Amino acid sequence: MTTEIMPGLALQKVDERIMTLNVGPQHPGSGHMRIVVQIDGDYIVACDPDPGYVHRGEEKMAEYRNYITNIPHLERPVIHDSCNVLYPYVLGAEELLGIEVPERAKYIRVIASELNRCIYIMYWLAIYGIFLGHSTMFMWPAGDREFLIDLMEKMSGARVTHAHFVPGGVRNDLPPNFEDVCLRQVNYFEKRIKEYAAVFYDNPILISRTQDTGVLSKQDAIRLGTTGSVLRASGVDYDLRVKEPYDVYDELDIHTNVMKEGDAYARSRIPWLDMMESCNIIRQALQKMPKSGSVRTKLKPNPKTKVPATVYKRVESGRGSLGCYIVSDGKTEPYRLKLSVPSFRNLIALPYLLKGEKLGNMPSVYWSLNYWPVEADR
Amino acid sequence: MLKDLITPENANVFVGKLGDILEKAIDKPLGYAINWGRIWSLWPVHIETACCSVEFGAASSPRYDVERFGIIEAFGSLRQCDLVVVQGTITRKMAPRLRLVYDQMPEPKYVIAMGACAITGGLYFDSYNVLPGIDGVIPVDVYVPGCPPRPETLIQGCILLQEKIKRMKARKFV
Ligand code: SF4
Repeated sequence: MTTEIMPGLALQKVDERIMTLNVGPQHPGSGHMRIVVQIDGDYIVACDPDPGYVHRGEEKMAEYRNYITNIPHLERPVIHDSCNVLYPYVLGAEELLGIEVPERAKYIRVIASELNRCIYIMYWLAIYGIFLGHSTMFMWPAGDREFLIDLMEKMSGARVTHAHFVPGGVRNDLPPNFEDVCLRQVNYFEKRIKEYAAVFYDNPILISRTQDTGVLSKQDAIRLGTTGSVLRASGVDYDLRVKEPYDVYDELDIHTNVMKEGDAYARSRIPWLDMMESCNIIRQALQKMPKSGSVRTKLKPNPKTKVPATVYKRVESGRGSLGCYIVSDGKTEPYRLKLSVPSFRNLIALPYLLKGEKLGNMPSVYWSLNYWPVEADR
Repeated sequence: MLKDLITPENANVFVGKLGDILEKAIDKPLGYAINWGRIWSLWPVHIETACCSVEFGAASSPRYDVERFGIIEAFGSLRQCDLVVVQGTITRKMAPRLRLVYDQMPEPKYVIAMGACAITGGLYFDSYNVLPGIDGVIPVDVYVPGCPPRPETLIQGCILLQEKIKRMKARKFV
């Protein structure tokens, strides 16, 4: 029995034992989405995530913008990971337009994308801390990520929305003296994040709240199609930077962090280990980068693709593998563009993980899925 | 005499009249004091609508620390809030919820439209699912431009709002 009181809002008759609870969209523990949970006492019986509050039609919009003007709005799904979310589109457009990328630009892209991964994970960690009621863990990452944002601001001119990657390279060359500053900041950053172990990861309160909650087995992780840190926390060694290297990742030495437990603790620890790996990658890339050279192959205005073609490119973003499928019919705009986003694929695991959990464990399981609602809705 | 006049049926009328008289009395002398109290305790609602929430979060980080201007981090309960910061795009699905949140808040309440999307639709002006600005949904006090606005810009918007509250008639909201 439901009575509609507003478009999309309804009153529901309450069951005797099972209670339906709406968590979000206005809730400190939900973000830009709604989770409808049914609880029996304190235990969750069923859970139905309801995304789509930020569906802005990115894919449709891409069909009436040309290959260059598509850049700004395609990085908006995850503005704090904007280089990575743009990466597959840029790789795909390059293949369609048939452009070569200079060597130095490839290294700059790797550095920018790793810096962005750290910026994303730090924000994620800050929110994870505040979800668990751990205010220090909000303040520390939120403060430390500003140093990396400064670096990106030096490089591209904007705090979060860089629009730095373009088909054919990167928009600008590095500012003078960037390498030294970057190395110094990254070393400091790595020292700082190691201190998080004492305040957060070895904290008995965190461990008691996240260990053995929301366990995702290896088989389930593969069956449900999760990616990224969720998959690696369940014991699957899968990282696109190693398995399907793009740009210059094959020349760098990358270690994949894998944990076997598959619980919320493992899922919260893997991104933290990933950040340290990112610091390693940045140091290697700074060393191997050609010291001078061009960074951008200039395009003609309004470039057209040569033949009708399709292309699918994937990269490893801060959340997992992010794909972009472009169909071109030889015009200046893509005929169809599809983003395959990791957030949405990780969200699918949520109803399975929450069944039988206590309601109080919901935030720690939900946010451990490395989920960003804006990206899932596109 | 007075006792006979006030019966249980019309008691609320008398209370209302008393309220009117009080309002007039506090308008001039106490209005300043009330507004002064309001500007240093703005509590934003925790409603995130799109990607601008990243910069809203950064504004309460140690570097920007919006709390020193009397604006506390986003808060859960609507009944204790008096500020809605609309953090970006409002889609057709979110608009009724935003209105519902706004209607549930007690007076006085203020609205900051943060980001180009909340002002005019911004980058998504021609998308099929995005409203061209929130003026049609809730009344806006301060517009903070940018895509996303830097935390400094947001803080400036909050200070502008405080200036505005200082000049408002306290009586309007009692
Ligand atoms: S103004 Fe820009 S950053 Fe803010 S919600 Fe809109 S697109 Fe996102």
